[in-house]
Amino acid sequence: MQTFVAALLNSLDLGILLFVIAVGLNIIFGVLNVINFAHGALYMLGAYCAYTAIGLLGLPFWLALVAAPLVVAAVAVVLERLMLHRIYDRSITDSLLLTFALLLIIDESVRWIWGTSIHIVDPPVGLRGTFTVFGAQHPVYSLFVMAMGVLVGVGLWLFFTRTRAGKVMRAAASDRKMSRLVGINVPLVFTGVFALGAGIAGLGGVVAAPMRAIGPAMGANIIVESFIVVVIGGLGSFPGAFLGALILGAIHGFGSRFLPDLNLVLPFIGMAVVLLLKPHGLMGRPAT
Amino acid sequence: MTKLRAKPVLASVLGLGLAAAAPAQAQEPIEIGAIYILSGVVSTYGEFAQNGANLAVEEINENGGVLGRPLEITFEDSQLQAQTAIQAMRKLVYQDQVDVLMGLDSSGVATGVVPVVPELQTPFIITHAATPDATGKLCNEWTYRISVNINQNVKAAAIMADESGAQSWTTVGPDYAFGHQSWEFFQKYLSELNPEATFSGSPSFPSLGTEDFTPFINTVIDAQPDGVFLSIWGGDLVNFTRQATDLGFFEQDFEVIMSLGAATEVLHALGDQMPTGITVGTRYWYDGPENAVNDAFVKAYREAYGKVPSYNAQNAYAAVYAYKNAIEKAGSVDKAAIRKALSGMTFQAPMDEVHFRKGDNQAVVGPVYGVTAENPDEEIRKLEPMRIFDGASVTPPVSETGCKLGG
Repeated sequence: MQTFVAALLNSLDLGILLFVIAVGLNIIFGVLNVINFAHGALYMLGAYCAYTAIGLLGLPFWLALVAAPLVVAAVAVVLERLMLHRIYDRSITDSLLLTFALLLIIDESVRWIWGTSIHIVDPPVGLRGTFTVFGAQHPVYSLFVMAMGVLVGVGLWLFFTRTRAGKVMRAAASDRKMSRLVGINVPLVFTGVFALGAGIAGLGGVVAAPMRAIGPAMGANIIVESFIVVVIGGLGSFPGAFLGALILGAIHGFGSRFLPDLNLVLPFIGMAVVLLLKPHGLMGRPAT
Repeated sequence: MTKLRAKPVLASVLGLGLAAAAPAQAQEPIEIGAIYILSGVVSTYGEFAQNGANLAVEEINENGGVLGRPLEITFEDSQLQAQTAIQAMRKLVYQDQVDVLMGLDSSGVATGVVPVVPELQTPFIITHAATPDATGKLCNEWTYRISVNINQNVKAAAIMADESGAQSWTTVGPDYAFGHQSWEFFQKYLSELNPEATFSGSPSFPSLGTEDFTPFINTVIDAQPDGVFLSIWGGDLVNFTRQATDLGFFEQDFEVIMSLGAATEVLHALGDQMPTGITVGTRYWYDGPENAVNDAFVKAYREAYGKVPSYNAQNAYAAVYAYKNAIEKAGSVDKAAIRKALSGMTFQAPMDEVHFRKGDNQAVVGPVYGVTAENPDEEIRKLEPMRIFDGASVTPPVSETGCKLGG
């Protein structure tokens, strides 16, 4: 029981952090038809902003939680206006190349600004320490991570279904020409979508900062995982990202525990099985 | 690519007046080619090596160079790939015409590179990559290693493990050659010291770059061994340690040995979150060796870079001085003469007196292990008690290495 509960809790906090990263990836793909290779780098940028605010400037965690995603979103606006907006009408491979270049640029800039050493930040007071449930000990902070994941999920769902801005984004996603005809400023919407996706990645970075080593490797590690999530869940699908993230979380949480010899290949086995049975993912649609 | 030649501008500006006082600047420089990981996720190791090597080059040039000639060092990026490293070495030797080579951060790169070194006919000192094969079954007469290899590191861990009295052991290590070999040698050496010792049949090998070690940590806690041997390193070890602290791992009743836990990049990252009372190892500890060379090195390194030197910085620093000694011993920069001079040479490095053993060209050096303790004077933990292992006590005999150089 204790072993099971520990693995379950672990699966959840892994899965929910992955969801936060993957959902931003999906929003950007869904609206802009861009597979954003630089997403992991933006997540890393969020974590480094958190380290700067909390570790270097001594600001409270909660301020960093708000400010860092805004900084990342602002960087995203610049990148979108300078480069990304030029390639929306081209094939998807061009966007892969460009965002891969962005990944290299952001990675090297981070190294240049913050150096190569590894940093840590502490969880905020009140979220430190552990709790025990069914004999399994687990960090309190992971409850906050789960809550943030749910908040991001519900918030985005409300945003896209209940607000004008969200509906405008969906309209621009489903038919760019028609949206333009009814007076929607499509380029502005696209900038906003990229900034939103990037901001969520940055938020993921801040949330991850107190439980992960902050170093140049963190972006590369998470992007592979998030791609597995969207492949399992389905590229562009909002509920797919949630489902895929929970599945991958469980693969890690339970797999590493009960099949440790296979931990390296299990995520890829999961991905391969899904690709064989449902080539577009559990809830996906074909890429255009 | 970065080039460093200490104070050439100063020398030419001051010109004739100083020419007599600084004869080193007047001569054609001796060229060192260095290959390290200078980009990407673990480039912090390449940076340490650059710092150490540059410091040695500056010091030597300020003191008149070698044979009256200044040293000049050229760095190339291995990008952590054997093919890239091989190309970089060919470029350094054929195009830049370097006299000697040094470098390499990864065992995977080393196993690809070492067989190519004889083709280059240039002495090569490995300063980081720890695979036993580089001075074992892949050894050749041009390749030397100045740094502690896996056998030496793990032999010392096994001695510490034996003395702890713990009988049943398990491991958590990275899922590639280094983690698996470390565990294999740990079992071999500890069994020799303590035939009663038992080893878990289901050790944990999380992939390199794992962000969440919780399942592996819980596996160890549930198994309740007497001791756990950890070969995780770098950022992974930082992640592991923090997550393990949260789960009460360090308050359990078992011994904890981290074979690379005293690496300064890990201790700097963790600060006072590094648990006290656990046994950690490193390939050089700045506060360990009691000799004048080490005192001067640590002081100069702190002044230049504001931090204590890591093992990788010491290794690169020592390699430059090894070449200085070999060139002076040979009396020329002839490559074959330097190679012969290195073989069997002994010189004083910060870590210890370093002896390149004839037979496999491995330096007979030992790691440092100690118990973490609070340190009000530094940002990082200190080791107390601390033990510097004598190279001879942890280096396997040449006959066991698989190297067939003879001599």
